[in-house]
Amino acid sequence: MLRRHFLGASTAIATSLIGARARAFGDEGAFEPKVLLAGGVTGAARASAPARWSAEVERRTSAAARRSPRAVKASEPTLLDGPFAYWSGTGALAALSSAELAGLRQFLGLGGLLVVDDADPASGAFGRDARRELARVLPDAAPVAIPEDHVLYRTFYLLKPARPSGRVQGAKTADAILRAGSLRVIFLAHDLGGALARNQLGTWEMTVEPGGDEQREQAIRFAVNIALYALTTNYKDDAVHAPFIMKRRATQP
Amino acid sequence: MSAPGETLRTALIPAEDLPSWLPWTAAAIVVLGLVLLVVELGRAREARRGRVAVTALLAAAALLGAVLRPQRLRAREVSLAPRVVVLVDRSRSMALAANDRADGEARIDVAERVARELRGRLGGRVEVLSFGAGTPRPDPLEEAKGKSVLARAGQASSDLRGAIASIAERHDDPPAAVVVVSDGRVEAGELAEHRAPFPIHAVAIGDGSPKDASIRAVKLAGAAVAHQPLPLRIEIACTGGLSCGELTVTVRELREREAGAVGADTSAVLASGTATVRDGSATIELPITLERAGTRAIEVALAAPKDDAIPDDDRRLLSIDVARERVRVLHIAGRPSYDVRALRTWLKSDAAMDVVSFFILRTPGDDVNAPDDELALIPFPVRELFTEYLPTFDAVIIQDFDAEPYGLTPHLPAIARYVEHGGGLVHIGGQNAFSAGGYAGSPLARVTPVQIPKLTGEQQPADTTSFVPVETAAGRGATILQDLHAVIGDELPEFPGANILGDLQRGGVALWVHPKRTTPSGQPMPVLSIGDVGDGRSIALGLDSTHLLAFSPFAAKSNGRGFDALFRGLLGWLMRDPRYEPVRGHLVHADGSSPCLAGAEAALRLDASPIVGPSHLRAAITPLEPPRAQAGEALPDTVDRELDGKPPLIVPLSIAPAGSFALRLAVGEKGASPSLGALATRTLGVCERGGDEWADPRPDRATLEKVARVSGGKVVAPSELASLPTPRAAIVALERSVAPLLPTWAWAALAAIAMSAHWFSRRRSGLA
Repeated sequence: MLRRHFLGASTAIATSLIGARARAFGDEGAFEPKVLLAGGVTGAARASAPARWSAEVERRTSAAARRSPRAVKASEPTLLDGPFAYWSGTGALAALSSAELAGLRQFLGLGGLLVVDDADPASGAFGRDARRELARVLPDAAPVAIPEDHVLYRTFYLLKPARPSGRVQGAKTADAILRAGSLRVIFLAHDLGGALARNQLGTWEMTVEPGGDEQREQAIRFAVNIALYALTTNYKDDAVHAPFIMKRRATQP
Repeated sequence: MSAPGETLRTALIPAEDLPSWLPWTAAAIVVLGLVLLVVELGRAREARRGRVAVTALLAAAALLGAVLRPQRLRAREVSLAPRVVVLVDRSRSMALAANDRADGEARIDVAERVARELRGRLGGRVEVLSFGAGTPRPDPLEEAKGKSVLARAGQASSDLRGAIASIAERHDDPPAAVVVVSDGRVEAGELAEHRAPFPIHAVAIGDGSPKDASIRAVKLAGAAVAHQPLPLRIEIACTGGLSCGELTVTVRELREREAGAVGADTSAVLASGTATVRDGSATIELPITLERAGTRAIEVALAAPKDDAIPDDDRRLLSIDVARERVRVLHIAGRPSYDVRALRTWLKSDAAMDVVSFFILRTPGDDVNAPDDELALIPFPVRELFTEYLPTFDAVIIQDFDAEPYGLTPHLPAIARYVEHGGGLVHIGGQNAFSAGGYAGSPLARVTPVQIPKLTGEQQPADTTSFVPVETAAGRGATILQDLHAVIGDELPEFPGANILGDLQRGGVALWVHPKRTTPSGQPMPVLSIGDVGDGRSIALGLDSTHLLAFSPFAAKSNGRGFDALFRGLLGWLMRDPRYEPVRGHLVHADGSSPCLAGAEAALRLDASPIVGPSHLRAAITPLEPPRAQAGEALPDTVDRELDGKPPLIVPLSIAPAGSFALRLAVGEKGASPSLGALATRTLGVCERGGDEWADPRPDRATLEKVARVSGGKVVAPSELASLPTPRAAIVALERSVAPLLPTWAWAALAAIAMSAHWFSRRRSGLA
């Protein structure tokens, strides 16, 4: 009943005027793709990617985001300064220390979301080792494929096809560890950071293959969706959104 | 020296060690023997029948004497009047007229006169008790003089069964009879089927049937659950030949008047219908839907014909406890953030919560780089939400939401009314909340527990200096925060800033305040405050980072449970969950029983569990509508009373008028007077003038006759008291002595000699 009425709702937002983006008190509640330092990783595989991620979220959505995301050690309490972390790399990982294990266990136990981004999917070493280490963090949780009807693919953009994207086309699905129906760890083998990375002159750092700019746009949209999932969880799974989304999916080519 | 009425009695009695059946058995055997002897002698041809008969009589007498061993009794005795209990019905139906005229003599006047007459007629051993609800109590008839009819007939029910059971349990001096003086509108129970241990007589008060239309009963089909239709079955009757035809029945919810709205009718019509009266009665079903949980006051009113004798039974006031199956929450947020994430995750984690969320994900200034059909965004249905669906929500959470751009401003009056009529509101801070969101001076500001300042010039809507809130004394003692204290103790995290807010509004209570900032009046600036607004409740939280209680290094110390504890308390208080109420109380009759009756002394009955020792009660009583008061009827506006903490906790008030009332109760330490602000318990109570007792105003002699018939009693009219059976007097021996006529051996010897003589006589007469 409620849904039917919402179909006829006025598009108030389309005609309203909004001033400059208001930020949270001290950016505390803003999206921040914190770079996780663990297992020998000393920074993001694509150094400019986290800031670009924040910038795209701020440019495209109403959410505030930290423009200079921090790098945090898994063993430090600062890992808990926000429920999102981004762990990327290109090579093999060292075994996590007990402090790193404990820190990640606490981060995920409190409900944090970790995105593991393999920047060298061709070798797959980082992704493989990350799964091995995260199996030590959460021994009772095995990764499963994220289905294409998962809310992750419609938290902001209606991704079509509903699949992960990055610098490389990669697998059609991403794996994830879930707890109580929520994503806790997302495993990407698409070098998402590679598609986002841009230098200070505004030039994209990496070539996106094989889809070029269109694939990059898809990757950016996927990154925005991940951020909105981190901020609103399964909001777009609410029944009130279903008829709109179904209608739009039906009209898309 | 002899006592008055004393008598001396002498008598022959059988030996006292014999069982009671033996004398009769012995006598029967002797009589049987003599009869057989007569038959035998009639058939005998021989002479000397006379000698045989004489010896037989002597032998029988001697044998009987040997068995009974007669004794001489001398006793000084007095005759006591029988104990009779007169039970006077003091239920509210006795305040009605004894005849079919509305201005006739009250039944209680007739009953008191009858009781006095019975006391004179039956002598000094008459005990007059009154009965109603609970156990019967001694009824000094003289004390009733000068009191109003309603005060003298001030009980809300007439539990005759309980009264008789209570009398029967007194074994020390059981009554010889009970005389019930009543109109027959009593709860007789099994008295009409099982015999009482004493005869129950009755004096039937009242005759005739008044010309009256009344609501006989209002029955609820099941428990009341918020948002779900509840059928009310309303039974109507017209008596005394009153022509009723079609009668309109209206059901209204009575609500507390908002501050400053003197004289305004805040009630809401829930249902209305027409009942067609046939053969003096009608039944109508009216479904109502109560949107708010908790105790609700409902009025069922009948538009009675002109000649209606008793207007007070045309209206019933009910207080209905409305349960909540699920809590329906509307959560709107101006933008996604970790704070929004934490609250949504918490709301969705509770299976008993129905959450409808709307978050603004895109502003017109955003460059989404995609056509609309590639976005999963829907328009914000502000009109539908705040016009059609608002009443269906139990609580509305407005989180960091700018009212103007998203069309909320025109709906702020509706949200304010929603709160005043029982809804819950949580206003959560952020850069777009409170002053920055355009709420200053708006109707929403009226229902916010704290003033929202208007921004002028360079004033900032928020202070972005990190701080740790300071808990107020009210916050430390509030049940709302007790769960949070249990989880994180007294320590709070450092928050990155706060919305700038003003002084508390009337009834507002600050639980957390800013350590440095002050309000225009110089008070510490509220950070977390709560307030009662009309029938509803409201919370203002001037922070945008309570997610730090769910996810942060600070939260890790309590495994993130602080956020759950904080919002469980806040939402629980907002939804009037009894766990977060400091005290539970009811408006009742002065003896502590329910319900409260207008025209009789009323009281506050408190549940003992939250009150464990000497304490101080402060209460405010506010009528939901102008009460229908007669002379001398008024409840106090406020009550301040020391409590000893020992149950039953009953605080006497005064004579109540008819009406419905909002009660605010707060309990503090002994000697202190606690605040009646938002931390006080708020509940509703009703006082009816007639209640169930006036639902059917006709006297009911048939019930009295049933009870009397089963117990062997009699029912008479007040003019027939002389025909009431008088119980026999009881004899009490003051002195008693017993002496045997002959020793036992003498009786045995006499019996042996007499038997021998008879035996010789028979032999000589040729009998066997």
